[in-house]
Amino acid sequence: MGSAREGRDANDTFAKLLRSHVAERGQRPAFRHKDFGIWQTWTWAEVLEQTRAIAQGLLSLGLDRGDTIAVAGANRPRLYWSMTAAQMIGAVPVPVYADSVADEIAAVLSHSEAAVIVAQDQEQVDKILSVRDRLPRLRHLLFDEPRGLTDYDEPSLHALEAIMAKGRAALSDARLAAALDRRIDEGVGADPSVILYTSGTTGRSKGVVLSGERAIAAARDTVAFDKLTDRDEALAYLPLAWVGDHYLNYAQGLVAGFCIACPESADTAATDLREIGPTYHFAPPRVFEALLTRVEIRMEDAGALKRWLYRRFMAVAKRCGEKIANGERVPWSARLAYRLGDLLIYAPLKNALGFSRIRVAYTAGEAIGADLFAFYRSIGLNLKQLYGQTEAFLFVTAQTDRAVRSDAVGPPAPNVNLRISPDGEVQFKSPGMFVGYFREADKTREAMTDDGYVKTGDAGFFEPDGQLKIVDRAKDVGRLKNGQMFAPKYIENKLKFFADIREAVAVGDGRDFVTAMINIELASVGNWAERNNVSYASYQELAANPQVCAMIEKHVDAVNRSLSEEAMMAGAQIRRFLILPKELDADDGELTRTQKVRRGFIASRYAPLVEGLYTGASEASIAAEITFEDGRKGKLVGTSRIVDMAPFPRTKDACAA
Amino acid sequence: MSGEILLSVDDVSLSFGGVRAIADVSFDIRKGEVRAIIGPNGAGKTSMLNVVNGFYHPQKGEITYRGRTRARMKPHEAAEQGIARTFQNVALFKGMTTLDNIMTGRSLRMKRNIFWQALRHGPALDEEIKHRRVCEEIIDFLQIEHIRKTPVGALPYGLQKRVELGRALAMEPELLLLDEPMAGMNLEEKEDMSRFIVEANRLRGATIALIEHDMGVVMDLSDRVVVLEYGRKIADGVPDMVKSDQKVIDAYLGAGR
Repeated sequence: MGSAREGRDANDTFAKLLRSHVAERGQRPAFRHKDFGIWQTWTWAEVLEQTRAIAQGLLSLGLDRGDTIAVAGANRPRLYWSMTAAQMIGAVPVPVYADSVADEIAAVLSHSEAAVIVAQDQEQVDKILSVRDRLPRLRHLLFDEPRGLTDYDEPSLHALEAIMAKGRAALSDARLAAALDRRIDEGVGADPSVILYTSGTTGRSKGVVLSGERAIAAARDTVAFDKLTDRDEALAYLPLAWVGDHYLNYAQGLVAGFCIACPESADTAATDLREIGPTYHFAPPRVFEALLTRVEIRMEDAGALKRWLYRRFMAVAKRCGEKIANGERVPWSARLAYRLGDLLIYAPLKNALGFSRIRVAYTAGEAIGADLFAFYRSIGLNLKQLYGQTEAFLFVTAQTDRAVRSDAVGPPAPNVNLRISPDGEVQFKSPGMFVGYFREADKTREAMTDDGYVKTGDAGFFEPDGQLKIVDRAKDVGRLKNGQMFAPKYIENKLKFFADIREAVAVGDGRDFVTAMINIELASVGNWAERNNVSYASYQELAANPQVCAMIEKHVDAVNRSLSEEAMMAGAQIRRFLILPKELDADDGELTRTQKVRRGFIASRYAPLVEGLYTGASEASIAAEITFEDGRKGKLVGTSRIVDMAPFPRTKDACAA
Repeated sequence: MSGEILLSVDDVSLSFGGVRAIADVSFDIRKGEVRAIIGPNGAGKTSMLNVVNGFYHPQKGEITYRGRTRARMKPHEAAEQGIARTFQNVALFKGMTTLDNIMTGRSLRMKRNIFWQALRHGPALDEEIKHRRVCEEIIDFLQIEHIRKTPVGALPYGLQKRVELGRALAMEPELLLLDEPMAGMNLEEKEDMSRFIVEANRLRGATIALIEHDMGVVMDLSDRVVVLEYGRKIADGVPDMVKSDQKVIDAYLGAGR
């Protein structure tokens, strides 16, 4: 940490950091953007010049210290620079999700009291103009891409280009240039640096205020942790408003001085990834899953020799790839086979995915399947997990390079104090932790403990090796009658990792034992049925098939086995389950629009089934109202067989722990 | 829109054997306008476009383009004089990428001979870079960056139509002939295509003649409409006028025959 922490006081804001890069690595690339099919590159010196022009332009529009400046759009260099420019003059940038609808943008702009918004293009400008009358504090709209906007007759609308030209002209006056420098010097680390609005999946979104010194301290710690340098390169394709982008790209990029590449458009990100070949990368689990599916489909279409090679060497990777990555002892013959596999399969595959140069890759956000995680680890991608949230400015835990596993999120990140409250909630104090929620002091107090820890709202526990395991949202975690912890999502996720299971609902809070209601995945079970000459006409018929039931029983058994191996969970094995006669659907209110199960609603709607699970009946019936795709309603009557499961004994490991 | 006359068709007749495809049709296209040619199936609309770009030679009548009355002209001569077109059934090079297809639209403007181009060095390279830039601007304009390197045969129909428009635009045409640019498209694709046509006309300064069956699109986009039926012109004027013309209504509804 030593050297990375030097100069902390001198560079306690992002604006000062940018200036320091010009002195240290002025000619190194800082930003790239693919435009007109060519990667355009800006050096740190050029970025400083551009950013100063924006900053001076903002001053000329009457912006001042303490104002807020919203930024809406995709990952574009000028939008990043606008954020730094705002920080230069002491204003606070507020990035906004580019895909939010006008109402959501209006809510964020009015809550943050933004005086100026820098929008990427016509699409964003149109959205803002449509809610303009609700935003009395909004004084100016700037846009980056003029396309389609030339005919707009709106006096407060300016091209960013024009504002920059104005700023540049003003800065040719040495006195104004010196004044801007003074302004940068006057900024202190304790000032608010950015306001990031939470995505609002758990209630209304809140504006998380982060300070410069804390943000930079957190980024310094993790830059040292992953040994990032100015030779690294990252593709910035995550939403600007998301803490992940602001941390992994903006903050870490400005601390380590590495180059940030902005894709040409959202549609070309995959191609751009291959062209850039980043060394540092983040993607949520679903992206990795989609990539793997694509690889597998393409391998199905490949020639016989390639298919054989792929299967042969993926088996080698599965056997010893992860062990090699974790630095464990592996026989030399296996090492040799792995090297050959690398030459023939793994390296070309990584190249096709754009992963050739990656030194460190992270995934986070949701649980990742063990097989999926192992696939990437075993072909030599240094994929790790982290756990974090906006209030922490991302990192709470992170896995170290050689201690990686799929079912835990790692030990506390550097300088993070982490504890589990008596009722199982994860709480932390971290270098990057937030200052407070913007204009919501009461909410801030609610989110903190009396001794200054931040409550995450997540339930979790530490594994024997010190890694944190997140099991569920704290409010969803219940207890069985005997006091055993019951984390429904944790069990449901384990079930859902099987391709045959689409959704699962675990029940058990306040009960004697855990039960589950399962939705089969029509695509994969249907495929199985076709291959095995099982005819069926509907989901309902397939769900009631005894062979299907036996197949699911095997999966539940496997889940129970894995639960039995965990000290905290061994008592929460699934004793009884049934296959739901109907697919859970958002139209019926059973899932949220983001496809999360609504447990409470499902429990009351399927009360007769739940009752059957706990009364010892061998089957249960339900009559449910369903909504067809065209909005008509119908009644569905179904009967489900209930299957009893024998629990596994606690394993030795679990007993010892 | 009272620009000078860019192209005028006078008393043109065209027959294939005994079939009269076009009979004594006259109309003009003014600089900078969007001119629609509509009519029921078989009215002679595509034949008319083929006459304009020199693919068919009319038996009677003459065509004046940029003030010059022309004798027989071949399609490549029309292209050299700034007339570009797209086709009812997409006519792209299926095995070539989007970018390469659009680059072919630049071939008339490339001055280096094949040997220089094969060497891909010196002046030929400079020239290629210059033309590539123009194509990239078109790719940006049509928002097809993501399919730049995809062979067009693998693209959905709506995108192929867009690539075809891109190739025509790459010629930087003075007159752009579009033969049913929106056939077979869904509503969203039609909206996109309409926007591109309007922008090509306004920002890129192309005069446009288009054949289209979607009346909503025609009435929205065009400045003037000429209506053909059985090879004859039955109406010519601004959309509102054409819309209320009894002969046009009859032709479309099949009444009065």
